[in-house]
Amino acid sequence: MSQTWYLLRNHEVPDIGQMEVYRAHGGYEALKKALNQYQPEELVDLVKKSGLRGRGGAGFPTGVKWGFLPKDGRPRYLVVNTEEAEPGTFKDRELIEKNPHQLIEGMIISRYAIGAKEAYIYCRGEFLEGYEQLTRAVKEAHQAGFLGENILGSGFSLNLFVYRGAGAYICGEESALLESLEGRRGNPRLKPPFPAVAGLYGMPTIVNNVETIANLPPIVTYGAEWYTSMGTEKSPGLKILSVSGKVNRPGNYEIPLATPLRSLLDDYAGGMQEGRSIKCIIPGGSSVPLLMPEQLDTPLDYESVLKAGSMLGSGGCIVLDDTVCIVKASARLVKFYREESCGKCTPCREGTYWNTDVLERLEAGGGSQEDIDMLLDISDNINGKCFCPLGDASIGFLVSAIQHFRDEFEAHVREHGCPLEAKVYDTVNY
Amino acid sequence: MIRLTIDDQEITVPEGTMIADAAAKLGIDVPVYCYHEALGPLGACRMCLVQVEKMPKLATACTTAVGEGMVVHTKNPAVDKGRKGVLEFLLINHPLDCPVCDKGGECFLQDYTFQYGPPQGRFQEPKIQKVKDGPINEFILVDQERCVLCQRCVRFMGEYVGEPQLLLDGRGVETVVATVDGKPATSQFSGNVIDLCPVGALLSVPYHHKARPWNIEREEAVCTLCPVGCTTLNTGRDGHIVRVEGRPVPDRSWGWLCDRGRFGYDFAIHPDRLTSSLLNGQPEAAARTTRQVGQWLFDVVNEHGGESVAFVVGGLHSTEEAYQLRRFAEDVVGTSRLAVSRLEAGYLPRGLNGTFEDIDQADAVVLVGADPYEAVPVVHLRLRDRVRAFPGLKLMGVAPRDLGRETLSVDTVVTHVGHEAATLAEALKQVAGDDPSVAALHAPEVPGLDQASIEPLAKALTESEHLVLLWDGLEADVEAVLVALARVRGDKATRVLPTWGPSNWRGFERAGFSARLNDLTQILHDAIDGKIHMLVVWGADLMREYPDRALVEAAFEKVPVLVAEGLFAPLGQEHFQAILPQAAPGEVYGTYVNMEARLQVAMPSVQPPGQARPTKTYVTTWAHALKKSLPLPEDWDPYDDNSGDLLPEESLDGLEVRALGAIDTPEAGAVEVISGSLVIENGIPSDILKPRIPSFPGRISADLAERLGIHEHGTVRVSRNQRSLAVPVAVDPQLTPGRIFIPLASGPLAVNQIGLGAANVTVQEEVPSA
Amino acid sequence: MKPEWKEWAKEARAEFPKANSALLPLLHRIQRSEGWLSPKTLEDVATLLELSPQYVQSVASFYSLYFKEPVGKKVVHVCVGLSCMLAGSDELMHRLEEKLHISQGQTTPDGRYTLLEAECLAACDLAPVAQVNLRYKGQVRPENADVLLNEEVSP
Repeated sequence: MSQTWYLLRNHEVPDIGQMEVYRAHGGYEALKKALNQYQPEELVDLVKKSGLRGRGGAGFPTGVKWGFLPKDGRPRYLVVNTEEAEPGTFKDRELIEKNPHQLIEGMIISRYAIGAKEAYIYCRGEFLEGYEQLTRAVKEAHQAGFLGENILGSGFSLNLFVYRGAGAYICGEESALLESLEGRRGNPRLKPPFPAVAGLYGMPTIVNNVETIANLPPIVTYGAEWYTSMGTEKSPGLKILSVSGKVNRPGNYEIPLATPLRSLLDDYAGGMQEGRSIKCIIPGGSSVPLLMPEQLDTPLDYESVLKAGSMLGSGGCIVLDDTVCIVKASARLVKFYREESCGKCTPCREGTYWNTDVLERLEAGGGSQEDIDMLLDISDNINGKCFCPLGDASIGFLVSAIQHFRDEFEAHVREHGCPLEAKVYDTVNY
Repeated sequence: MIRLTIDDQEITVPEGTMIADAAAKLGIDVPVYCYHEALGPLGACRMCLVQVEKMPKLATACTTAVGEGMVVHTKNPAVDKGRKGVLEFLLINHPLDCPVCDKGGECFLQDYTFQYGPPQGRFQEPKIQKVKDGPINEFILVDQERCVLCQRCVRFMGEYVGEPQLLLDGRGVETVVATVDGKPATSQFSGNVIDLCPVGALLSVPYHHKARPWNIEREEAVCTLCPVGCTTLNTGRDGHIVRVEGRPVPDRSWGWLCDRGRFGYDFAIHPDRLTSSLLNGQPEAAARTTRQVGQWLFDVVNEHGGESVAFVVGGLHSTEEAYQLRRFAEDVVGTSRLAVSRLEAGYLPRGLNGTFEDIDQADAVVLVGADPYEAVPVVHLRLRDRVRAFPGLKLMGVAPRDLGRETLSVDTVVTHVGHEAATLAEALKQVAGDDPSVAALHAPEVPGLDQASIEPLAKALTESEHLVLLWDGLEADVEAVLVALARVRGDKATRVLPTWGPSNWRGFERAGFSARLNDLTQILHDAIDGKIHMLVVWGADLMREYPDRALVEAAFEKVPVLVAEGLFAPLGQEHFQAILPQAAPGEVYGTYVNMEARLQVAMPSVQPPGQARPTKTYVTTWAHALKKSLPLPEDWDPYDDNSGDLLPEESLDGLEVRALGAIDTPEAGAVEVISGSLVIENGIPSDILKPRIPSFPGRISADLAERLGIHEHGTVRVSRNQRSLAVPVAVDPQLTPGRIFIPLASGPLAVNQIGLGAANVTVQEEVPSA
Repeated sequence: MKPEWKEWAKEARAEFPKANSALLPLLHRIQRSEGWLSPKTLEDVATLLELSPQYVQSVASFYSLYFKEPVGKKVVHVCVGLSCMLAGSDELMHRLEEKLHISQGQTTPDGRYTLLEAECLAACDLAPVAQVNLRYKGQVRPENADVLLNEEVSP
């Protein structure tokens, strides 16, 4: 039952990124419906009713976020966050590379709902292909009259700009993204004020994830009830999970929320590769604590995953199999945060550096028992003390790894190196 | 107002106050690195963690605004652990080279580690290596390894000063503070980053490896190198001042200094400093010269009477020294010929004198001739403060050049030399022509003045609620216009800040000397007329300073006995029979009055060098020589019970509005010489500052430069009134066409050799001497 | 400064309603033609956009895709994120280092290749993944490292 539900359903259609093909598959019909049948505030209500939550990682209700916009007549901006780089997550890249019009249609609907006259797509610098697809699609949409002045005779206008980042994961944090969009270093901003009040160029701004906005056309087409008929009451609808690791079919899968983790891995991703078994699973991107094989029945919705001790986050599901050294995996994930820390605040800048070094030393066999407790203490000194969520994100996996696999950490100390070494470096199953 | 509880103490503070500032008001120490009230919250260092009840995580006190009923704990186990953690993080990549760090003993990283930090380190990994002792400029070193990346320096230069010469380079743990492509920072406010740096990352080059906190004495003092009178801490070691730091005064000043004030302290130990005396041009022990001067005084007074002796005070003397000199002159010598050495003709009645707080309240500021960046640098920062707090500030200028800068935009009405008063009067006429005070000006018409161009100025002058004017004093007639303006404005505040020197001229006036240029001019004329037999020039350098050098020279030639006292030998020293060494500020206790008419005390940190002595030593010796007693009351205090640290207010009622003089208008296309003071090049020597002193202090407009074939810089000969002067000039594209700027009293190049004013000036390239 | 940069700066400024946003696009465009951003280039960009050179240097230094040193004709980014590591990216990197006789972060003396680590390229389904001049190459087994070097790509 590896059904693709909506956002990914046309991805096998050749040239679905082209305007005609997209329209031949029902593209921009939702936009027409939105413009013809809804007043802007009704659309905001629709989104509220659908229960759609931000798909970038935090899971904040989108309609509520839109409701934060002050009604003071200042110009508003809509910004779509395409700085997808959290290890394990790769859904937004596929969405913009394969089907850019779906996002653009969602943006025009959103623009109509929140009253922004300008919208930006902040595209990750590494996504050159995606950037080119978006730029081309925006041009097509202009030519087709979906962008620019007086869209489809509605009297509404929208200018849409595609802006390319230049290699900084921190720009996925919405205020850092806005800094970058204004041509500055991507340092997160002090909050409050939140972007909804003072965002891009100091104006009220909504920053949403690609997947979030891409969900607008189906919600408009099929209605809020359709959306809430899937998932749970608090986590309704569909979510794309990116599955990687030693499964048979790594890739993006759109599932109704609350689908059990086991079903995602077995029914969608084709189960584990021959001869591999699950050691643990990262369910929601590199920043979340791991889940153990005995938790495979956890329904993949925000609340259930939280209850199980982790987070659904961005939906980057990495499956670690029995050959993986947990110390090496931890070191690699923490190193990512060290490389991507903007350096503004002390605990994140120095803490990620320290943790990485200790982990790499442990992995190489130069660690001591005290180091393991020290890692927990350093992580505690990072936890909740940083300027933005990146610092906390750097310790989610590490702390849970030590909790669940302390014996493996200790074995690295005892045996002066990795007890799994031979297996880790086997090259049988890439 | 918001009421909250911090560590069980209740406090009420304005809405928007940060917890850190509220705690500071209660005297509770919340450690910070990145936060500085002048720069606003940043939240980078995370040192100021506190616990706020009902908040899930620890909060940073510097970024969290107070809330009604908030309960804050600045000391508890969670806060302690948080701070300890942050300090441990700050230390892991810190080189821990305190034994060779200048900051050792005065370092917030040491202090906080001692107070809140972990007792020992757990970090065993290699530290990141960065640049040590890299240059920011000639005065400042950066040790990137010691840096805690609080960004104070970068934000100060970029956001506060508006000269973004420091930058954050790189990202994450590799981030460093640097200059662009290694080019030196040229801002004249660069030295402040040394004070701002909470750790040993930004260090003073001249103080590098010079002393330890236990070697030094730090005394509260005042900078006397310009009329701002910035408050300082002077560090003395082994008889020399080796460092000057800014000293914040709560609710009054942030403690900023310009680089002249911070690094120019070495004038006191400059090789040219007088440490013994000259008698008839020959080196002589000061005691003997002093006795000889006493003998001359005795002879002159006996022979020609006390009135035949004149005293001119100036330079860096304190108010007390001026007072002692005045008492000696009046009570012992018996003369009334007393004047202050002045570079500018203008005078400001005390009743119009404003304070820096007026700038903080101003809705309009008019710069009359004065460029604050050059003349009174720290006031420039004050103006930027005001623009930030009140973006609607009307900032205008009336001057012979455009006073706008990238850091401060000024809407300038550019006039001809000598037309400032008349232009201001025209503006007044536009809006208050019927006012008797304006009529009393009998203002001459300004030829070619476009009335529309002064409309905004006229509006600002009359419609603003709180008007502040900065005046450079070059044009004496402006005084009358200011009096008339104050009359027209009635109850609305009209406050003027004089930007001229000598920096303590108000103090000299307080001590009993006339600060009006006319009185000095009269003395010079009397000297030429043979009425003066002995002229004592106290701390001043008349030939460099007085607006007309020729007149001074003529007077010097006629006076039989010419005596000087000073830090350096004055120009024309061949005229002087005796030259005595002066004690400098920082070597004597003294009160100095700044441009706000504010009295400020400087404590001495060192003894005067060599045979230099304070004024009192000289005048008591001479009183003996004159066989009279000098009853100097020990407790004379320039402070006034009613006015506190400001000189007593004076009413404007008695002031008369004088008629303005006629104005000269140069022929079309004529060249004009303009001037202004330039603190960085004010003639007081400093080896430390040498690299910063411009080699081409003059400036030439682009059209003149083109006509003369000068690219970037060169030397021109400026002739006026049958005198000429070689002026090294740099091309200044902002200068109004046809103008040459020559700074006042800057080293050997002094505009008083030819004077300025609306006259024709011929310009030619200097013929290089063979 | 190349004559066409002026035009590019104008276009970058016109592209977005606010001039501030022109910096990153202009840096991208100039780097694409020059290969890297020299200190002089950064100064020129500052002049073109009327920004301070300090600002431009600081911004450029923040982003990993702006090269502050000359790079090879082919810039090979090997993703070393967790999913790619599980699929052998470290081995792939080793092979490339051996073949090119350089370490990651370096450029071959002949100026043909620059080898860089990438932090998660968001293509974990294609692990181990690499980019050659930002064009994806998925499932590059270490023994096939050559395909990255032989790939024909535009700069």
